[in-house]
Amino acid sequence: MSESGTSGRPTQALHPDDRHDQRAHSALPYFAVWIALLFFTALTYLTGKQHLGTWALAIALIIACTKSTLVALIFMHLKDSSGTTRLVFVTSLIFVAVLLFFTVSDVATRFRPATPAGAPFGTERSQPEGLLEHELPE
Amino acid sequence: MHPDAAGLPPGILGHHFSSLARQNEAMRLGMWLFLATEVLLFAGLFTGYAVYRFQFPEAFAECSRHLELTLGTVNTLVLITSSLTVALAIHYARTDRRRAAAICLVITLLFALTFLGIKAVEYAAHFHERSLPGKYYAYEAVKIPGAAMFFSVYFLMTGLHGVHVIAGMSVLSWILRRTLQGRYSSQYYTGLELGGLYWHLVDLVWIFLYPLLYLI
Repeated sequence: MSESGTSGRPTQALHPDDRHDQRAHSALPYFAVWIALLFFTALTYLTGKQHLGTWALAIALIIACTKSTLVALIFMHLKDSSGTTRLVFVTSLIFVAVLLFFTVSDVATRFRPATPAGAPFGTERSQPEGLLEHELPE
Repeated sequence: MHPDAAGLPPGILGHHFSSLARQNEAMRLGMWLFLATEVLLFAGLFTGYAVYRFQFPEAFAECSRHLELTLGTVNTLVLITSSLTVALAIHYARTDRRRAAAICLVITLLFALTFLGIKAVEYAAHFHERSLPGKYYAYEAVKIPGAAMFFSVYFLMTGLHGVHVIAGMSVLSWILRRTLQGRYSSQYYTGLELGGLYWHLVDLVWIFLYPLLYLI
Protein backbone atom coordinates (compact mmCIF):
# COMPACT_ATOMS: atom_id res chain seq x y z
CA MET A 1 0.00 0.00 0.00
CA SER A 2 2.49 2.62 1.15
CA GLU A 3 5.02 3.84 -1.39
CA SER A 4 6.47 6.47 0.93
CA GLY A 5 10.24 6.50 1.29
CA THR A 6 10.65 10.00 2.67
CA SER A 7 11.13 9.21 6.34
CA GLY A 8 14.75 10.31 6.24
CA ARG A 9 14.05 13.89 5.17
CA PRO A 10 13.74 16.17 8.17
CA THR A 11 12.15 19.08 6.25
CA GLN A 12 9.27 16.86 5.09
CA ALA A 13 6.78 17.20 7.94
CA LEU A 14 3.85 15.72 6.04
CA HIS A 15 1.80 13.12 7.77
CA PRO A 16 1.22 10.00 5.61
CA ASP A 17 -2.52 10.73 5.64
CA ASP A 18 -1.97 14.10 4.00
CA ARG A 19 -0.14 12.73 0.99
CA HIS A 20 -3.29 12.82 -1.14
CA ASP A 21 -3.26 16.61 -0.76
CA GLN A 22 -0.04 16.77 -2.69
CA ARG A 23 -1.29 15.06 -5.82
CA ALA A 24 -2.82 17.11 -8.61
CA HIS A 25 -6.42 17.44 -7.47
CA SER A 26 -9.26 16.98 -9.93
CA ALA A 27 -12.89 18.09 -9.60
CA LEU A 28 -14.04 15.40 -12.02
CA PRO A 29 -15.13 12.85 -9.35
CA TYR A 30 -17.41 15.47 -7.78
CA PHE A 31 -19.28 16.01 -11.04
CA ALA A 32 -19.49 12.24 -11.58
CA VAL A 33 -20.98 11.77 -8.10
CA TRP A 34 -23.40 14.65 -8.70
CA ILE A 35 -24.68 13.02 -11.91
CA ALA A 36 -24.97 9.67 -10.10
CA LEU A 37 -26.96 11.38 -7.31
CA LEU A 38 -29.31 12.96 -9.86
CA PHE A 39 -29.78 9.55 -11.47
CA PHE A 40 -30.57 7.86 -8.15
CA THR A 41 -32.97 10.66 -7.20
CA ALA A 42 -34.84 10.08 -10.46
CA LEU A 43 -34.80 6.33 -9.73
CA THR A 44 -36.19 6.73 -6.21
CA TYR A 45 -38.83 9.14 -7.54
CA LEU A 46 -39.96 6.76 -10.29
CA THR A 47 -39.97 3.60 -8.13
CA GLY A 48 -41.53 5.48 -5.20
CA LYS A 49 -44.43 6.68 -7.33
CA GLN A 50 -45.27 3.09 -8.33
CA HIS A 51 -46.10 2.21 -4.68
CA LEU A 52 -44.60 -1.24 -5.08
CA GLY A 53 -46.03 -2.53 -1.82
CA THR A 54 -43.80 -4.81 0.22
CA TRP A 55 -40.66 -3.94 -1.71
CA ALA A 56 -41.13 -0.17 -1.80
CA LEU A 57 -39.39 0.50 1.52
CA ALA A 58 -36.50 -1.85 0.77
CA ILE A 59 -35.91 -0.28 -2.66
CA ALA A 60 -36.12 3.27 -1.25
CA LEU A 61 -33.64 2.44 1.52
CA ILE A 62 -31.20 0.67 -0.81
CA ILE A 63 -31.18 3.70 -3.14
CA ALA A 64 -30.80 6.13 -0.19
CA CYS A 65 -27.91 4.07 1.22
CA THR A 66 -26.20 4.04 -2.19
CA LYS A 67 -26.55 7.82 -2.45
CA SER A 68 -25.21 8.35 1.09
CA THR A 69 -22.26 6.07 0.44
CA LEU A 70 -21.33 8.15 -2.60
CA VAL A 71 -21.64 11.41 -0.62
CA ALA A 72 -19.63 10.04 2.32
CA LEU A 73 -16.84 8.49 0.23
CA ILE A 74 -16.32 11.22 -2.39
CA PHE A 75 -17.87 14.51 -1.19
CA MET A 76 -16.85 13.94 2.44
CA HIS A 77 -13.48 12.42 1.42
CA LEU A 78 -13.94 9.31 3.53
CA LYS A 79 -12.27 7.43 0.67
CA ASP A 80 -9.00 9.29 1.40
CA SER A 81 -9.46 9.56 5.18
CA SER A 82 -7.49 7.82 7.89
CA GLY A 83 -8.76 4.60 9.41
CA THR A 84 -9.57 6.34 12.70
CA THR A 85 -11.96 8.74 11.00
CA ARG A 86 -13.70 5.94 9.13
CA LEU A 87 -13.98 3.90 12.33
CA VAL A 88 -15.79 6.75 14.08
CA PHE A 89 -18.40 7.06 11.36
CA VAL A 90 -18.92 3.31 10.91
CA THR A 91 -19.31 2.91 14.68
CA SER A 92 -22.13 5.45 14.72
CA LEU A 93 -23.85 3.53 11.90
CA ILE A 94 -23.56 0.26 13.85
CA PHE A 95 -25.31 1.87 16.81
CA VAL A 96 -28.04 3.24 14.53
CA ALA A 97 -28.61 -0.33 13.29
CA VAL A 98 -28.74 -1.67 16.89
CA LEU A 99 -31.23 1.02 17.92
CA LEU A 100 -33.50 0.45 14.92
CA PHE A 101 -33.33 -3.35 14.97
CA PHE A 102 -34.22 -3.88 18.62
CA THR A 103 -36.86 -1.14 18.73
CA VAL A 104 -38.67 -2.40 15.63
CA SER A 105 -38.35 -6.03 16.81
CA ASP A 106 -40.02 -5.01 20.06
CA VAL A 107 -42.88 -3.19 18.34
CA ALA A 108 -43.37 -5.98 15.80
CA THR A 109 -43.83 -8.67 18.46
CA ARG A 110 -46.27 -6.86 20.76
CA PHE A 111 -49.70 -8.17 21.65
CA ARG A 112 -52.80 -6.11 20.99
CA PRO A 113 -53.22 -4.19 24.29
CA ALA A 114 -49.67 -2.85 23.87
CA THR A 115 -50.40 -1.13 20.55
CA PRO A 116 -51.69 2.46 20.41
CA ALA A 117 -55.43 3.12 20.13
CA GLY A 118 -56.66 2.89 16.56
CA ALA A 119 -53.59 1.09 15.25
CA PRO A 120 -54.55 -1.83 12.99
CA PHE A 121 -53.58 -5.20 14.38
CA GLY A 122 -53.14 -8.71 12.95
CA THR A 123 -55.55 -9.31 10.07
CA GLU A 124 -56.65 -5.65 10.07
CA ARG A 125 -53.27 -4.64 8.69
CA SER A 126 -52.99 -3.99 4.96
CA GLN A 127 -53.30 -7.16 2.92
CA PRO A 128 -51.35 -7.99 -0.22
CA GLU A 129 -52.99 -6.26 -3.18
CA GLY A 130 -55.54 -8.21 -5.21
CA LEU A 131 -56.40 -10.70 -2.46
CA LEU A 132 -59.42 -10.56 -0.21
CA GLU A 133 -59.06 -11.74 3.35
CA HIS A 134 -60.71 -15.15 2.80
CA GLU A 135 -58.46 -15.75 -0.23
CA LEU A 136 -55.24 -15.36 1.75
CA PRO A 137 -53.03 -18.43 2.24
CA GLU A 138 -53.33 -19.92 5.71
CA MET B 1 8.47 29.41 15.34
CA HIS B 2 7.24 26.13 13.93
CA PRO B 3 8.95 25.04 10.71
CA ASP B 4 5.48 24.12 9.38
CA ALA B 5 4.01 27.53 10.09
CA ALA B 6 6.26 29.26 7.55
CA GLY B 7 4.10 30.90 4.90
CA LEU B 8 0.85 30.27 6.79
CA PRO B 9 -1.32 33.13 8.06
CA PRO B 10 -0.79 33.66 11.81
CA GLY B 11 -2.88 31.75 14.30
CA ILE B 12 -3.50 28.65 12.19
CA LEU B 13 -1.05 26.14 13.68
CA GLY B 14 -1.61 25.61 17.40
CA HIS B 15 1.57 25.54 19.51
CA HIS B 16 0.47 22.23 21.04
CA PHE B 17 0.64 20.40 17.69
CA SER B 18 3.95 19.04 16.44
CA SER B 19 2.96 19.52 12.80
CA LEU B 20 0.19 20.95 10.66
CA ALA B 21 -0.61 17.43 9.40
CA ARG B 22 -1.26 16.24 12.94
CA GLN B 23 -3.40 19.25 13.65
CA ASN B 24 -5.40 18.62 10.45
CA GLU B 25 -5.92 15.00 11.42
CA ALA B 26 -7.03 15.97 14.93
CA MET B 27 -9.48 18.52 13.46
CA ARG B 28 -10.94 15.97 11.06
CA LEU B 29 -11.28 13.35 13.78
CA GLY B 30 -13.00 15.86 16.07
CA MET B 31 -15.42 16.84 13.32
CA TRP B 32 -16.26 13.22 12.52
CA LEU B 33 -16.88 12.53 16.22
CA PHE B 34 -19.31 15.45 16.21
CA LEU B 35 -20.96 14.15 13.01
CA ALA B 36 -21.33 10.72 14.66
CA THR B 37 -23.31 12.34 17.49
CA GLU B 38 -25.43 14.14 14.87
CA VAL B 39 -26.14 10.81 13.16
CA LEU B 40 -27.27 9.39 16.51
CA LEU B 41 -29.44 12.44 17.17
CA PHE B 42 -31.30 11.93 13.90
CA ALA B 43 -31.33 8.14 14.48
CA GLY B 44 -33.64 8.74 17.45
CA LEU B 45 -36.18 10.43 15.20
CA PHE B 46 -35.79 7.82 12.46
CA THR B 47 -36.49 5.13 15.08
CA GLY B 48 -39.62 6.97 16.18
CA TYR B 49 -40.60 7.15 12.52
CA ALA B 50 -40.05 3.39 12.11
CA VAL B 51 -42.18 2.58 15.17
CA TYR B 52 -45.15 4.70 14.11
CA ARG B 53 -44.93 3.75 10.45
CA PHE B 54 -45.08 0.13 11.60
CA GLN B 55 -48.10 0.85 13.83
CA PHE B 56 -50.00 2.96 11.28
CA PRO B 57 -48.99 1.79 7.79
CA GLU B 58 -52.15 3.03 6.03
CA ALA B 59 -52.19 6.43 7.71
CA PHE B 60 -48.51 6.99 6.84
CA ALA B 61 -49.04 5.99 3.21
CA GLU B 62 -52.18 8.12 2.89
CA CYS B 63 -50.63 11.24 4.50
CA SER B 64 -47.46 10.85 2.47
CA ARG B 65 -49.51 11.01 -0.73
CA HIS B 66 -50.95 14.34 0.40
CA LEU B 67 -47.50 15.96 0.65
CA GLU B 68 -46.26 18.10 -2.24
CA LEU B 69 -44.07 15.52 -3.99
CA THR B 70 -42.86 18.01 -6.62
CA LEU B 71 -41.61 20.46 -3.98
CA GLY B 72 -39.90 17.64 -2.06
CA THR B 73 -38.20 16.41 -5.23
CA VAL B 74 -37.05 19.91 -6.20
CA ASN B 75 -35.64 20.37 -2.68
CA THR B 76 -33.74 17.07 -3.02
CA LEU B 77 -32.16 18.31 -6.27
CA VAL B 78 -31.37 21.68 -4.63
CA LEU B 79 -29.58 20.04 -1.68
CA ILE B 80 -27.66 17.56 -3.84
CA THR B 81 -26.43 20.38 -6.06
CA SER B 82 -25.49 22.48 -3.02
CA SER B 83 -23.39 19.54 -1.81
CA LEU B 84 -21.60 19.62 -5.17
CA THR B 85 -20.90 23.35 -4.91
CA VAL B 86 -19.47 22.92 -1.38
CA ALA B 87 -17.23 20.09 -2.59
CA LEU B 88 -16.11 22.37 -5.45
CA ALA B 89 -15.43 25.24 -3.03
CA ILE B 90 -13.01 22.98 -1.12
CA HIS B 91 -11.48 21.83 -4.40
CA TYR B 92 -10.90 25.43 -5.55
CA ALA B 93 -9.45 26.45 -2.17
CA ARG B 94 -6.96 23.60 -2.19
CA THR B 95 -5.90 24.51 -5.73
CA ASP B 96 -5.44 28.19 -4.71
CA ARG B 97 -8.42 29.59 -6.64
CA ARG B 98 -9.93 31.63 -3.83
CA ARG B 99 -12.32 33.65 -5.99
CA ALA B 100 -13.88 30.50 -7.42
CA ALA B 101 -14.09 29.01 -3.92
CA ALA B 102 -15.90 32.10 -2.63
CA ILE B 103 -18.32 32.05 -5.61
CA CYS B 104 -19.11 28.36 -4.93
CA LEU B 105 -19.85 29.16 -1.28
CA VAL B 106 -22.17 32.01 -2.29
CA ILE B 107 -24.02 29.65 -4.69
CA THR B 108 -24.30 27.09 -1.86
CA LEU B 109 -25.83 29.70 0.43
CA LEU B 110 -28.33 30.66 -2.30
CA PHE B 111 -29.30 26.99 -2.70
CA ALA B 112 -29.75 26.75 1.07
CA LEU B 113 -32.06 29.79 0.99
CA THR B 114 -34.01 28.21 -1.90
CA PHE B 115 -34.41 25.03 0.15
CA LEU B 116 -35.73 26.95 3.15
CA GLY B 117 -38.03 29.02 0.92
CA ILE B 118 -39.60 25.90 -0.60
CA LYS B 119 -39.92 24.35 2.86
CA ALA B 120 -41.66 27.53 4.06
CA VAL B 121 -44.18 27.25 1.20
CA GLU B 122 -44.89 23.65 2.28
CA TYR B 123 -45.20 24.58 5.96
CA ALA B 124 -47.56 27.45 5.09
CA ALA B 125 -49.79 24.99 3.21
CA HIS B 126 -49.77 22.61 6.21
CA PHE B 127 -50.84 25.42 8.54
CA HIS B 128 -53.52 26.48 6.09
CA GLU B 129 -55.05 23.00 5.66
CA ARG B 130 -54.31 22.25 9.35
CA SER B 131 -52.29 19.10 8.68
CA LEU B 132 -50.49 19.74 11.96
CA PRO B 133 -49.03 17.54 14.73
CA GLY B 134 -50.98 15.98 17.58
CA LYS B 135 -54.05 17.76 18.89
CA TYR B 136 -53.77 20.57 16.32
CA TYR B 137 -54.50 18.10 13.54
CA ALA B 138 -57.73 18.97 11.71
CA TYR B 139 -56.95 17.95 8.13
CA GLU B 140 -60.12 17.22 6.18
CA ALA B 141 -58.51 15.00 3.51
CA VAL B 142 -57.18 12.24 5.81
CA LYS B 143 -59.25 11.17 8.80
CA ILE B 144 -57.80 7.88 9.99
CA PRO B 145 -55.99 7.02 13.25
CA GLY B 146 -52.27 7.75 13.03
CA ALA B 147 -52.53 10.67 10.59
CA ALA B 148 -51.79 13.21 13.33
CA MET B 149 -48.81 11.05 14.31
CA PHE B 150 -47.47 11.16 10.74
CA PHE B 151 -47.49 14.94 10.85
CA SER B 152 -45.87 14.99 14.31
CA VAL B 153 -43.04 12.87 12.93
CA TYR B 154 -42.95 14.94 9.71
CA PHE B 155 -42.66 18.27 11.52
CA LEU B 156 -40.08 16.97 14.03
CA MET B 157 -37.86 15.47 11.33
CA THR B 158 -38.08 18.26 8.76
CA GLY B 159 -37.93 20.82 11.59
CA LEU B 160 -34.73 19.44 13.09
CA HIS B 161 -33.33 19.15 9.58
CA GLY B 162 -34.32 22.77 8.89
CA VAL B 163 -32.52 23.89 12.05
CA HIS B 164 -29.45 22.11 10.71
CA VAL B 165 -29.81 23.91 7.37
CA ILE B 166 -29.83 27.26 9.22
CA ALA B 167 -26.82 26.20 11.34
CA GLY B 168 -25.04 25.07 8.17
CA MET B 169 -25.74 28.43 6.53
CA SER B 170 -24.22 30.24 9.52
CA VAL B 171 -21.13 28.05 9.36
CA LEU B 172 -20.79 28.53 5.60
CA SER B 173 -21.23 32.33 5.90
CA TRP B 174 -18.44 32.46 8.45
CA ILE B 175 -16.26 30.31 6.21
CA LEU B 176 -17.09 32.54 3.22
CA ARG B 177 -15.79 35.53 5.19
CA ARG B 178 -12.59 33.67 5.99
CA THR B 179 -12.22 32.62 2.35
CA LEU B 180 -12.54 36.25 1.26
CA GLN B 181 -9.91 37.15 3.86
CA GLY B 182 -7.60 34.70 2.09
CA ARG B 183 -7.19 32.30 4.99
CA TYR B 184 -7.61 29.12 2.94
CA SER B 185 -5.05 27.95 0.41
CA SER B 186 -3.37 24.79 -0.83
CA GLN B 187 -1.31 24.88 2.39
CA TYR B 188 -4.27 25.11 4.73
CA TYR B 189 -7.97 24.55 4.02
CA THR B 190 -9.05 22.26 6.86
CA GLY B 191 -11.45 24.82 8.36
CA LEU B 192 -13.29 25.06 5.04
CA GLU B 193 -13.24 21.26 4.70
CA LEU B 194 -14.89 20.78 8.12
CA GLY B 195 -17.64 23.31 7.34
CA GLY B 196 -18.23 21.38 4.12
CA LEU B 197 -18.50 18.11 6.08
CA TYR B 198 -21.30 19.61 8.14
CA TRP B 199 -23.14 20.67 5.02
CA HIS B 200 -22.80 17.21 3.49
CA LEU B 201 -24.33 15.71 6.65
CA VAL B 202 -27.36 17.96 6.17
CA ASP B 203 -27.59 16.55 2.64
CA LEU B 204 -27.18 12.96 3.91
CA VAL B 205 -30.10 13.31 6.32
CA TRP B 206 -32.33 14.71 3.57
CA ILE B 207 -31.40 11.82 1.26
CA PHE B 208 -33.20 9.54 3.76
CA LEU B 209 -35.99 11.95 4.68
CA TYR B 210 -37.09 12.43 1.08
CA PRO B 211 -38.16 8.83 0.23
CA LEU B 212 -39.33 8.09 3.79
CA LEU B 213 -41.67 11.08 3.99
CA TYR B 214 -42.67 11.86 0.41
CA LEU B 215 -42.63 8.46 -1.29
CA ILE B 216 -44.36 5.94 0.98
